[in-house]
Amino acid sequence: MTTIRRFCCDDLLRFSSVNLDHLTETFNMSFYMTYLARWPDYFHVAEAPGNRVMGYIMGKVEGQGESWHGHVTAVTVAPEFRRQQLAKKLMNLLEDISDKIDKAYFVDLFVRASNTPAIKMYEKLEYVIYRRVLRYYSGEEDGLDMRKALSRDVERKSIIPLKRPVTPDELEYD
Amino acid sequence: MPFDFLLFWKLLHFFWLIVSASRLLFNIVAVLKKGEDIRILDDANFYTKTGILQIEQIFPIVQSPKSPNSKQSLTPVCVYSRFQLRYLSFNKERLPPSYPRSRFLAVAKNPRYSIMASKFGMAGGIPERRVRPVWDAIDSRQFKNALKLSTTLLSKYPNSSYALALKALILERMGKLEEALSVCINAKDLLYKNDLILIDDLTLSTLQIVFQRLDHLDMATSCYEYACGKFPNNLELMMGLFNCYVREYSFVKQQQIAIKMYKIAGEERFLLWAVCSIQLQVFCGNGGEKLLQLAEGLLKKHIASHSLHEPEALSVYISLLEQQAKYGDATEVLSGNLGSLIMIEVDKLRIQGRLLARAGDYGGAADIFQKVLTLCPDDWECFLHYLGCLLEDDCSLPMVANSPLIQVSTSMDCQHRHLTDDVFDSRISRASEFVEKLKSEAGSDSIRNPDLANLEIERRKIIFGKGNYDKLMEDLILFFTRFGHLACFSADVAVFLQILPDDRKKQLLEKLAKSIDSSSTSSKNVLGQHLTLFKIRELIGDMFPLPEGDLVGFAVQMTEMYCENLPLSKDLDVQESMYGEEFLSMTCNILVQLFWRTKHIGYLLEAIMVLELGLTVRRYVWQYKILLLHLYSYWNALPLAYERYKSLDVKNILLETVSHHILPQMLTSPLLVDISDLLKGYSRFMDEHFKESADLTFLAYRHRNYSKVIEFVQFKERLQRSSQYLTAKVEGSILNLKRNANSIEEAESVLESLNFGSDFLDVSNEIQSKKLTFNEDLQLRPWWTPTYDKNYLSGPYESMSKYPRENLRNDVKQTESKVTRTIEKRSLLPRLIYLSIQCASSSVKGNSVINGIDSKHSSELKSLLESYSKYLQLPFHDAVELLISVSNGQKPLEVLTSNLIDWMNFAVFLNAWNLNSTESNNSDGNTFRMNWELVCSLLEQSVSSKIKTAKPLGSSPGIDVSILVQLVTEPLTWHGLIIQSCVRSSLPSGKKKKKGGGGHSDQSNTQLSNSIKNSILSLHKMIDEVTKWLKEQIEKPVDGDVDILLSSINCEQNNDVGGPGKVVKILERLVSSVDDVEVGDRICQAVKSWKAVDVARKMVTAQGTALTEFCNVCESKMKVLQGLKLQI
Repeated sequence: MTTIRRFCCDDLLRFSSVNLDHLTETFNMSFYMTYLARWPDYFHVAEAPGNRVMGYIMGKVEGQGESWHGHVTAVTVAPEFRRQQLAKKLMNLLEDISDKIDKAYFVDLFVRASNTPAIKMYEKLEYVIYRRVLRYYSGEEDGLDMRKALSRDVERKSIIPLKRPVTPDELEYD
Repeated sequence: MPFDFLLFWKLLHFFWLIVSASRLLFNIVAVLKKGEDIRILDDANFYTKTGILQIEQIFPIVQSPKSPNSKQSLTPVCVYSRFQLRYLSFNKERLPPSYPRSRFLAVAKNPRYSIMASKFGMAGGIPERRVRPVWDAIDSRQFKNALKLSTTLLSKYPNSSYALALKALILERMGKLEEALSVCINAKDLLYKNDLILIDDLTLSTLQIVFQRLDHLDMATSCYEYACGKFPNNLELMMGLFNCYVREYSFVKQQQIAIKMYKIAGEERFLLWAVCSIQLQVFCGNGGEKLLQLAEGLLKKHIASHSLHEPEALSVYISLLEQQAKYGDATEVLSGNLGSLIMIEVDKLRIQGRLLARAGDYGGAADIFQKVLTLCPDDWECFLHYLGCLLEDDCSLPMVANSPLIQVSTSMDCQHRHLTDDVFDSRISRASEFVEKLKSEAGSDSIRNPDLANLEIERRKIIFGKGNYDKLMEDLILFFTRFGHLACFSADVAVFLQILPDDRKKQLLEKLAKSIDSSSTSSKNVLGQHLTLFKIRELIGDMFPLPEGDLVGFAVQMTEMYCENLPLSKDLDVQESMYGEEFLSMTCNILVQLFWRTKHIGYLLEAIMVLELGLTVRRYVWQYKILLLHLYSYWNALPLAYERYKSLDVKNILLETVSHHILPQMLTSPLLVDISDLLKGYSRFMDEHFKESADLTFLAYRHRNYSKVIEFVQFKERLQRSSQYLTAKVEGSILNLKRNANSIEEAESVLESLNFGSDFLDVSNEIQSKKLTFNEDLQLRPWWTPTYDKNYLSGPYESMSKYPRENLRNDVKQTESKVTRTIEKRSLLPRLIYLSIQCASSSVKGNSVINGIDSKHSSELKSLLESYSKYLQLPFHDAVELLISVSNGQKPLEVLTSNLIDWMNFAVFLNAWNLNSTESNNSDGNTFRMNWELVCSLLEQSVSSKIKTAKPLGSSPGIDVSILVQLVTEPLTWHGLIIQSCVRSSLPSGKKKKKGGGGHSDQSNTQLSNSIKNSILSLHKMIDEVTKWLKEQIEKPVDGDVDILLSSINCEQNNDVGGPGKVVKILERLVSSVDDVEVGDRICQAVKSWKAVDVARKMVTAQGTALTEFCNVCESKMKVLQGLKLQI
């Protein structure tokens, strides 16, 4: 029912029903294309019968040493395809690639602290809140850094929550 | 022991060298200014969380045994900032083993972050500490100060091209483009003169950036070409040159330089750069397919000696073979050692299956696809491939690799290979058994593929003539009971419904309805099933033939269901979609259909009310916004439509796919400022992409994602050929002329910026060979306007058995050819205007015959008019004849109304040409000519007829005010420009004095000036007539219009069976009875804030605003005409 394949440029012309949703950001072209040029394995689209775009996931792999990890930049599903675990499938795919191909220690993502439905969903997918990043979103709203350990992190060290919140300056890759 | 100072110093120096060297060899010191968007294009992993770091290149320099010279390119790399220093080390895991990890080179896009020290502490041959203040000033945008500092720097280093390049960069940032270019060219000349040991890369990259920003890619390229010529075998410079060719899309040169690099370094990636460049020649250039053979040969040779190390390299190799139809070879490669490069098993299987199918080995391919399905049981496309291979059916066979849009056709006109009955039966039963197996393995998992697969099998059986509708319906009902609550259900099964005969469709509907009653699932699921049932009804066109009363019944039922189910959404976050949201869109669809049928505006108003209430409850529903923007556009409340459009936050690539909802209406509206903003925003986005696209392509090269290289170039070409982009360019220029037409000088300067309209002539000539692309996403348009040039509501009601969406494919084709023709035609306008102004002016001067340029203008205008008449679908002479017979009343104006604006534009330009031409334009030699009087008569007739048929906007939705707007802003405006040109030339001031002399000329000039005077009066009268009508509309009290609107939905006046008002009644009941305990505080407050009267008032106000804008345009024109009257 769902075909998941690598995202390609032409999909940018077909994802309007997904991106018109107010929670889905439409980035500039260099953003999408940089992800496509650098991490094509981390950018997938899901299609329904009739080639309708259901949703997509974009991400990357980054970090050094034990913080070598997959990162979910965006995951989104069109309204008509919600409530059927598509986001889960897409997330699992990215986790799989981080785990098996890139041998990363964990996968992480950032979410607005107010976005309760999303936080709940990520928790269901076994992500834990690793730390709070103060005023991460345009200096206004806090972000939550959520993580899920992968098989390489045997002791699951990467997901032990930090006790205090951090500021955006303290982020490793800023 | 005495302290040996010298020894100590030597030791210290030695130690320092080791430390520095190791730092340079193992780390890159990158300096990222905080908050700046920085992108590192390297093989390692240093990017920001929030964005991507922006440095153009960091690449490994390989010291090849073949070229000891390349040692030179072990440039120390140091990128720094006063804000933040960050040491970055390369992550070993991401690098292929073949690369020595120690040698890297970084080139920053912004030279601020570039290799600041080609030699230690040196920047472009100047001590870095002297350059730093200049950069600091640039960084803080103190360009004046930066310029001063750079002048000082230049006085100390007059022979430094780097210092000059910096100055050019500052000038460019200050917007002094010409000066920047000349300084940059000086820097380039200096670079050529300086006999340096090594051409400094920082200087080169700085020059490159400035040249690129000044649109002189060729000069940047020649700098690198020069450097490469001077220092052959320097890989660093060669990569820079390769990048230049990528920017210029010079595929052949890309290939040549890549091959050179490959020969020097022997590296796999350079070979693949060359191979990609070859593929680009074949797919995007004019290279023949034979080149692919060459590429294949190159790869084969390399594989024999070095094998391949990158998965993408293998993909390229396979695609090369596939493109040459060497499927067998490709399969062999994939199943050999190289196949292990593809690490995801299903990916490999998919390629294998595709290759087998394309080679005609359907059995083998089916086996492979079966394996994929076992691993990914929910993969619908794979199932179609599987079934396609089993049944040897062309439609569902996999397409060529890298064909980005894999369209699996679901239509019935597939080419079936002729399987015998027995073979067909056995293949089908194999498929059925396999699907059963998948189903049992899936268990309670919510995957839908096996169920859907069963439906597809039944469908294929029916197509083959061995199916049975009962079975298909049975399966559909089963599928419905499991998944009918999902929002996508109806779209999923659309293809299966299509195959059922009409009576079966009706039966199915009844059965589905019954199956809801008997189900005992949760209320949310029941709600979902009801929604699906309505959607299926909509889909099969069940509602079109129903009597009005029944349709009203459905609308009422759906609105009630929306209201009743609000409590289900009580605890939802405002961001989440609510249960039953779609009921309101569907109610709107029915109400609009009722309006189309009965022409009762109440229904249309109700449609708006329903959606507005929905938006009050949850303001994020884009589906409502799109429907509303079309309804408001139709009802001439364009400012409100535009507001709804803006709330969709359409930006970036969505501008290309979503703007069609608003652009066409706006282009013919009086909202000149808004449309100008829209066009500018869109063009800016496209132009920016075209500028940066090549750099992104190079990024793909850098990261060895070769398939993306081809994809990016093809995508850029697709956008460049976008019909909407071309429309925006042409219409933007015409708009600019419209907005500046009150002053002929300003209009002329606009024309000058358009190369006097000549550039667009080329557009017009080349358009047919250009193969325009149409990237608009039309799927989201409402049913009544499936494409942007079609609106069913404007025509008479036709009973349809299906929703008009069924005809979409045909409509789209028609629209596409129409759009192409329109661009072709509209591209002629700027030049026509320019030439008309010229001819008008020389007619007054009376020098048409004497001056060669003038007669050239005249004959060009004639030939353009001949081209233009093509769009009137008449030969030139016939068109002239028709116009003249309309103007003198022999024929009615109605013969021109199908494209009135084109006819009137033609008449206006024809007059301008006639002014200056002695040539008779009638084939039989009669002296029937267009003249001032006739043009005015035509324009007057057009304006009057439009005003006569105009009605008050409130009570007559769909009335086409845009024709009147276009009359005023186009033919009347162009005519006004021609008059201005004549008046200016006739002024006896200074040099403008007429040169012709002689009594005859004087006499004819008096005649001319009388005609012009009369024309001014006539034009004034026309616009005055429009203004009066507008004022009459604007000055009507809003309340009166609101009352008229509201009375249209007053239920009491309507009969029991049908009639508008019933849906609004439900909404009003909801407002008065909503209970916060039931629906929650948020929804309750929102519902309570909604008032029907507010909706009506907002619309009437918006209609008034649009008319006021139009009135302002008219009044400004009248002022200009007053002025002209005094001048002559």
